Amino acid sequence: MTKPSIKLGPGALVCLDCDIQGDVTIGARSIVHPKARIIADAGPIIIGENNLIEERAEIYNRKIDETPNQTVVIIGNSNLFEVGCYSEALKIGDNNIIESKARLGRETELTNGCVVGAGCSIFNREVLQENLIISGSNCERRVQFDRPQPQSLQLDFLHKMLPNYHYIRKKKERDTQSLKN
Amino acid sequence: MATYVDFDRVQYMADLGVKAPLCRLHFCRHCMKLRSTDCVSHEIDSHYCPHCFENMSPAEAKLKKNKCASCFECPSCFHTLSTRATGAPNPGDDPSRPAGRKVYYMGCGFCRWTTKVAGIPNQTVGSGAWSEKENTNSERINTLMEYFQQLAAIEKQEKDKKKFIRRKSFIPFSEKFGLSSTRKRASINPGLSSLSLKENPKVMDIEPAEASEQIEELSDEFIKNPLKLNEMTTLKQRLATPHFQPNFFSELYPRHKNLLTQRSLRCKECEHNVIKPEFNPCSIKYRIQLVAIYHVPEIRLFSQPNLEIGKETQVILTLLNPFDYAVTVTVHELKEAVFNAELSLPECDLSLPARDETAEFDDCAANQDFQDDPSVVTFRKSNKLGFFIKVTPKPSAAGAKVVIPFQIRYNYRNMTASSALTDPTAYETVSLQQSVFVDLGDLNSTAA
Ligand SMILES: [Zn+2]
Ligand SMILES: [Zn+2]
Ligand SMILES: [Zn+2]
Repeated sequence: MTKPSIKLGPGALVCLDCDIQGDVTIGARSIVHPKARIIADAGPIIIGENNLIEERAEIYNRKIDETPNQTVVIIGNSNLFEVGCYSEALKIGDNNIIESKARLGRETELTNGCVVGAGCSIFNREVLQENLIISGSNCERRVQFDRPQPQSLQLDFLHKMLPNYHYIRKKKERDTQSLKN
Repeated sequence: MATYVDFDRVQYMADLGVKAPLCRLHFCRHCMKLRSTDCVSHEIDSHYCPHCFENMSPAEAKLKKNKCASCFECPSCFHTLSTRATGAPNPGDDPSRPAGRKVYYMGCGFCRWTTKVAGIPNQTVGSGAWSEKENTNSERINTLMEYFQQLAAIEKQEKDKKKFIRRKSFIPFSEKFGLSSTRKRASINPGLSSLSLKENPKVMDIEPAEASEQIEELSDEFIKNPLKLNEMTTLKQRLATPHFQPNFFSELYPRHKNLLTQRSLRCKECEHNVIKPEFNPCSIKYRIQLVAIYHVPEIRLFSQPNLEIGKETQVILTLLNPFDYAVTVTVHELKEAVFNAELSLPECDLSLPARDETAEFDDCAANQDFQDDPSVVTFRKSNKLGFFIKVTPKPSAAGAKVVIPFQIRYNYRNMTASSALTDPTAYETVSLQQSVFVDLGDLNSTAA
C-alpha cells in the first residue's frame, strides 16, 4: 500500500469525508463530494480541471496481476461523474458525463463529449468516439452533434455552498509546490 | 414471502376456470363471485394524455388520432420531452432586438436528444408553436379516405333500400287512408327521398396505385462508405413513425404523445360495475373499487418448504383477514381437483380478528385470547395467522411443481343496496367458498 499523497490544484474542493487512497492529483476548481472514492492502487490518478465528482462515485486505478507495471489514470477537464457511478477507465478526455450507476471498464477509453447513460455498463476494449451518447437498458448508441454543456454554474454554486456544510480538505503548502514542478 | 415478488404462487379460481393471483382479480358484490380481467367487460370512459392529463371524449380523441396536441415524446427513447429555455444568441444583423431574449427548445432528460439535433429551429414561445413534419402521402391518403367514405355511404343506402322493400307490404295499407305513398315514405325515412332521386349514385374516380417498373439505383455510398451504426436508427424507432421511417438519427422528429384510456370494468353476468374511476384522470380515487384483495381472505405461502416424494412435510401458510369484522375460516379438500401431493388439512376453525390499521403502530396491542391448537396455528399477529398443512408429494410430482389445491369457506357480510336504504349498517351474512391453488415449488433436488 502506497502512502497516500494527495495533490490539490488551486481552487480544488475536496470534502474530508471521502475515501482517497494512493497518489491522486486533483486539478484546479474540481470538486469531490463527500463519500466519493478515488483509489489509486496500481499507480497515480490524475484528474484535470473543473471536474465534478459526486457522492458515491468511484474512480479506480485497479491493480491487475498480469500488468505489474504502473498504470496511470488520466482524466481530462470538465467531466461529470454522477452519483454512484464507477470507473476503472485509464483515459477519459474532456466534457464527458458518466451518469448515475454507470460503469466503465479498464479497457474503455473515453474521448471528448461522451455521455454514458444511467445504469449503462461499458467494459469492452474500445475507444468511444467523440460526442457518443450511450443510453437505455440496451446501451443504445447515438452520436450527438455537440458536446454536453459544461457544468460551470453548478460548480460555482457548489464552491459557495459546500464549505458551509462539509469539512473541506485543507490544501498543504507542498501540494501546490509539487503541482508546479 | 409470496407477496410482492412471488405473488403468482397463490392463485384463486375465478369464473370460467381462470386461475389468477388475488391481486389481479375483482369481486362482484352482486354475484358474490371472483371475476378475472378476462371475464369483465372493459368500457372506455375517456381518453387522456398521460403527461398533461388533458382528457377528451372518444370522438375528439379519434379526431386527434389518439394523440395529445401539446405533449411530445422523444423519438429516440420515447421518454416525454421537456421544454427548455435558453438565452438566444442575439442575431448580429438586427441590433434593434433586445439582448438576452429567451428561446425554447425541447430536450429529452434521459438520452439527451434535443430538437436542435433534428434541425428544428428554436421557438420564441414556450409551447404550441412546434411545426409538424409534412407527410408527403397525406394527399393520397385523404383522397382514398374520401373514396371509401363514399363507398360506405352507398353501402348504407343499399341496406336502407332493402329495409324499405321489406316494409312495402305496409304501404298499401297507408294508402287506404288517402295518403300519398311517396309522402308517407318521405315522412317515415327522410333519407329515402334522396335515394329515389339518385338511382345510380356517382362515385368519384381514383387513380389506382401502380407498381413502377423503374427502381432507383443503389447509390454508391452504400458500398463505398463504411456503415456508421451510431448514426442509424433502430427498427423500433423507425416503426414508431410509420409514415416517415427515418434511417438516420438526424431525421428523427418529435412524436406527439399517445393518449391513454381510462376504463371502467363491468361484470358480464349482472352488468354491475366492479371498477369505476372518477371522471377526472388526475384523481387516483375510485367511485367503485371491488378489488378482490379487500373482499376475500388472503392466503400466502410463508416460506419455501423442503419437499421430498413420500415424505410428510409441514408447510406454513399465512391467512389474512381483510374485513373490518372478525371472520372464521375453515379449510376443506377440493374434491374434483387433480393434484400431485397428499394433503392433511387443519380440521379446526381458524378465527381471525378484524383488520385494524392502527394495530401496526400499537406496540402493546392487547393479545386477543384465542384458544389455538399449537399443532395447527404457528403464530398470530393482529389480523394475520400462520397455520400448518401437512403435504406428502406423490411419485407423480417428480419433475413437476407441487401444487396443492384446497377450498376456504368463510362468512361474508354483504351490504346490499336495498337494506342500506333503511339502515346503513344493515347487512346479510352469506357463506362463501373460494378455491385456492398454492404452488409449493420444485421438489428438493438433493433428496433424489
Ligand atoms: Zn356480477
Ligand atoms: Zn398532453
Ligand atoms: Zn430520449
